[in-house]
Amino acid sequence: MLAEQIFAYAILGLGSGALFAGTGLGVVLSYRGSGVINLATGAIAMLSGYCYWALATGEFGVTFATPLAVVLTLLFSVVLGVAFELGVVRPLRRQPPLAKLVATLGVLLSAQAAIVLAFGDTAHPQPSILPGGVVTLFGVTIPDYDIWMAAIVLAVTLLLAAGYRWTRFGLGTRAAAENEAYATLFGLSPNRYSMGNTVLMALAMGLVGLLAASINEVDPITLVLYIVPALAAAMFGRLTGFTTTYVAGLVIGMAESVLVFLGGQSWFPTSNGGPLPGVDELLVLVVLVVATFFRAGKIPSRGDIVERRLPRAPRPVAPLRTAAIFVPIAAVAMWALPFGFREGLITSCIFAISLLSLVVVTGYLGQLSLVQLGLAGVAGFLVSHLFTNFGIGFPWAAIVGVLAAAALGVGFGFPALRVRGVQLAVVTLAATVALETFWFSNGTWGAGVLGAPVPAPSLFGFSFGTNASFHGLGGGEPSPLFGWFCLIVLTVVALLVANLRRSRLGQQMLAVRANERAAAASGVNVRNVKLTGFGIAAGIAGVCGVLLSYSYGSITASSFSALIAVALVAFVYITGITSVPGGIFGGVIYVGGLFAYALLDWFGLQGNWLNLAVGFLVVMSLVSRPEGGATFLFYGKRPSLWPRASKDPQGKMPAGGVVNDEGEQQMERSLAPVEVEVPS
Amino acid sequence: MSEPVLSLEKVSAGYGQADVIRDIEIDVHPGEIVTLLGPNGAGKTTTLRLVSGLLKASRGTVRYKGRDVAHLSPTRRARAGIAHVPEGRGIFFGLTVAEHLRLGYRGETIDAEIVYTYFPALRQLRDRPAGLLSGGEQQMLAVARNLARRPDLLLLDELSLGLAPLLVERLLPVVRDYSRERNCGVLLVEQHVPLALEVADRCYVLSHGDVVLHEPASRVRENPELLVSSYLGQSSTSEALAT
Amino acid sequence: MTAALEAVGISVSFGAVRALQDVDLAVDQGKLVGLIGPNGAGKTTFVDAITGFVQASGSVRLEGREISSLPPHRRSHLGLARTWQTIELFDDLTVRENLAVAGGRPSLPSSFAEIVFGRQPRAERLAEEVLGLLDLEGIAEEMPSDLSQGRRKLVGIARALAGKPSLLLLDEPAAGLDTNESRDLGRRLRRIVDGGLPTLLIDHDMGLVLGICDEIYVLDFGKLIARGTPEEVRRHPDVLAAYLGKSAAEVEPGASKVGAAWAAVAEGAAEQ
Repeated sequence: MLAEQIFAYAILGLGSGALFAGTGLGVVLSYRGSGVINLATGAIAMLSGYCYWALATGEFGVTFATPLAVVLTLLFSVVLGVAFELGVVRPLRRQPPLAKLVATLGVLLSAQAAIVLAFGDTAHPQPSILPGGVVTLFGVTIPDYDIWMAAIVLAVTLLLAAGYRWTRFGLGTRAAAENEAYATLFGLSPNRYSMGNTVLMALAMGLVGLLAASINEVDPITLVLYIVPALAAAMFGRLTGFTTTYVAGLVIGMAESVLVFLGGQSWFPTSNGGPLPGVDELLVLVVLVVATFFRAGKIPSRGDIVERRLPRAPRPVAPLRTAAIFVPIAAVAMWALPFGFREGLITSCIFAISLLSLVVVTGYLGQLSLVQLGLAGVAGFLVSHLFTNFGIGFPWAAIVGVLAAAALGVGFGFPALRVRGVQLAVVTLAATVALETFWFSNGTWGAGVLGAPVPAPSLFGFSFGTNASFHGLGGGEPSPLFGWFCLIVLTVVALLVANLRRSRLGQQMLAVRANERAAAASGVNVRNVKLTGFGIAAGIAGVCGVLLSYSYGSITASSFSALIAVALVAFVYITGITSVPGGIFGGVIYVGGLFAYALLDWFGLQGNWLNLAVGFLVVMSLVSRPEGGATFLFYGKRPSLWPRASKDPQGKMPAGGVVNDEGEQQMERSLAPVEVEVPS
Repeated sequence: MSEPVLSLEKVSAGYGQADVIRDIEIDVHPGEIVTLLGPNGAGKTTTLRLVSGLLKASRGTVRYKGRDVAHLSPTRRARAGIAHVPEGRGIFFGLTVAEHLRLGYRGETIDAEIVYTYFPALRQLRDRPAGLLSGGEQQMLAVARNLARRPDLLLLDELSLGLAPLLVERLLPVVRDYSRERNCGVLLVEQHVPLALEVADRCYVLSHGDVVLHEPASRVRENPELLVSSYLGQSSTSEALAT
Repeated sequence: MTAALEAVGISVSFGAVRALQDVDLAVDQGKLVGLIGPNGAGKTTFVDAITGFVQASGSVRLEGREISSLPPHRRSHLGLARTWQTIELFDDLTVRENLAVAGGRPSLPSSFAEIVFGRQPRAERLAEEVLGLLDLEGIAEEMPSDLSQGRRKLVGIARALAGKPSLLLLDEPAAGLDTNESRDLGRRLRRIVDGGLPTLLIDHDMGLVLGICDEIYVLDFGKLIARGTPEEVRRHPDVLAAYLGKSAAEVEPGASKVGAAWAAVAEGAAEQ
């Protein structure tokens, strides 16, 4: 009986599996068409879903019949696709894969903010477009639409697979993906294939948005985060195989459904009386890790013409002098500013620390890790636990938290040694989601729904928590004492990060970032340098987590969510991921920080307006000022052209893929930008 | 004499600040094979990339059929009739032979018959991915696919790289025939000098980015010592070093 | 005296392709040894095998010590330095920092001091010294991307020298240089070798290699086809044939007039 029930539950998972698979198809289409690892596919599906909901329920005053609403929604997704191509993909086509990925993070953020601003963040029911019958299988009632959804997405999958095999468009896409330069020599136009595939991606996402109406209400989060299982599925398909992606997506959906069934069994681990949460996300993480290690190595590398690297990481000239100017100003502001601004400033300080952790791991070491915020959460939760369970307070709890985060960072570093830049971003995104749901939301060893208490920090009986009394300010929170504490910590961390850039270890990190093979040939132990970098960055993230927990007085999973992790990366790319000022000013403009509070206070603009702008700003700054605004302000303009990729991190072929006289190969790699395509 | 299909007029080009070729002048007429010789690093590949548009000239004019093509992208130049077989063969390892012949821009007609007429051996291999062909077969496919476009100017880069000379010896006469029959100009870069001279009408020698020799191929064929100094280094170089 | 480098029976395969077959090569103390061969002969693969960047069979001894099982950075610590055909500078670091990375491994305490107390690494003198050796004074603070091709090549060599190696492997240092630059490079290399650093030089510029090397090895299709002094190599008929194209005459004897003519040139060169 058990086997049959498991089977029935697996069938019940076809619907969500089909949505994962469909979103995965979008990832594959984006990658094949333009080499973008598109984390915004789920967000595009969500936008389409809202479009359908608005049209079908009369949100805008006119109610459309279902077929018409469906057609209009698909048209809308075509428009979205064209806009995505022209606004994001094309301007960034010569950028490295990492920059493209960050841009899609920006789009994700903007899309979500736009929806929240327009329709709020509550879920709305919407009419299904599929027939509503049911079948009963082994005593489990299964709605027809689950099967319909799987069938429809299967049909799309087969169409795509056939189209890529048989049509000129498909052949051209494959050719251009394999080697863009060769394709142009045949008179093919890679831009056109890129556009075509982006539009197909958007159409597929439109379909996912429509189909989702059958099993989900529209909300600004669910579909957006479908990207995580979808990525796992697409990784199984090596980002290129439609049918494998489909099958993998379907299997993930069915496995999650079976987990729901198993969760009802008596032997299933429980937490606070309910089945253990987060097992789904853990499963997806495991799938993704397996896919990355056993499948991703064979992802066909793309022959795009010019790759630009991460922007340069300027050497700080006199960090102490810079600190001597800015720290006193901030210290006075901490005392003089009204409460709201003070709170914004404190938040800015704390998040600036987490951005400095990104400066180390991404800016110096060249690895995009989205798990830094998760590591911060680990430290924060430890501080809470050490207090509640063992009565340990400041400073020991904080120190243990930071060290634990650093150790965990090194632990994550080991697998990261084998994973390439963009894939690391994908895996760490899944890790963040899994940490959030499996650990932080868990009632037993996380915070559950209510949050776990954190004591105010104090030393020798002298408290400097958010509620510490400060002469002359009454009991207004947050206390400037806590602000100064945060400011001191930020200053120390910033100086350490600046010194790191000047130290030989920092030079080795940049050498590894620039060229692992040459670094090894120069005697650099690449593995140790990477692990050290991961450890340092994780420790810094831990500091952020500790301060965050003190600042809230209690700690909840939502402070460390994947969407916040994504937003942090987008913000720091705008101000500069490669320098200390970039990290600090990223904190200043970050949602909830000083700048955001000023917007709210002076113009009444909610933080979501900032998030909405970030998507555009990320793309704009990647195109026009890839080093970031603050880095530019502090270190000035590079007189020469931005350095081009010398090679990809794995030391494979030159980006152009055009082999040359041996003696001319080195120039191939610094190939001047060439107009490859005149749009016709 | 007919108007040249390609003429380089005092062209310099390179990567970054450094010019790899300087003020070179080269003509190719319809129906003739011109070979570009010279030691490695002399700028031969750079010259071909310049013509197909993968690289822009820093000075000088590239004329194709009398028109300055500076503003044309590689895609446009390809559609105008310039075919370039780059050193890495320029084919797609993930596509089968038959798929290569279906590949094309919208409205392009690929003459698959040319391929099977000139290279009957490819017929049996039509369903094999190019990545699984032998080096010689890949080179055959690359040349065949480009002939099937009926180009007016064919650029061939180091067909013999990594191949036994014998294979190229079979390929080049096909190019020779095609060039005569279709009045196609060919610019041939080749490291196997005797092979190149055997099919070519004229020969340019590049050394360190300058044209150091321009002669009818027959003359160089009969007086190979003309080449020796540009390949094995002038004795002056070694003398200067000895001091 | 132990040879600076002794490679015995080096073979490398990429799938079914045998890129190197049983190559023996030695670089004696104080000698400048050349390695030449046509495109695709396996010269760079040989350097990769010696420095540990490709899987190779055979034995590699650096000053008598077997290093063939060590990873690249360990070989570098033992005194093996190389440059790359494709230069491969650290583009995000200044010239001085490029040299500093190769110049020494920071110990844990010194790293700590540098990061926590902001103490500056002491690599300044070393950089000036090495740059002076190559007549590169005054570019220490430049970014590599701002330098000319020729200068970048020299910085690559300077970086290799910064680690105070016991053996230098140069992969096509003259490619992309014009005749004058190439000649200057030759003079500097000779100076470095005469200063006591044994060097293996790979290059296509025959004038350079024949002009300055003490001994030359010739590779073709992954096999050693000749070895000797520049004079001997210059006379070797196989070498000329490998460079100027294996004549059709050798494939099918007597079939081609051109082939015969080339054979005659080869013999002529041998008689010179």
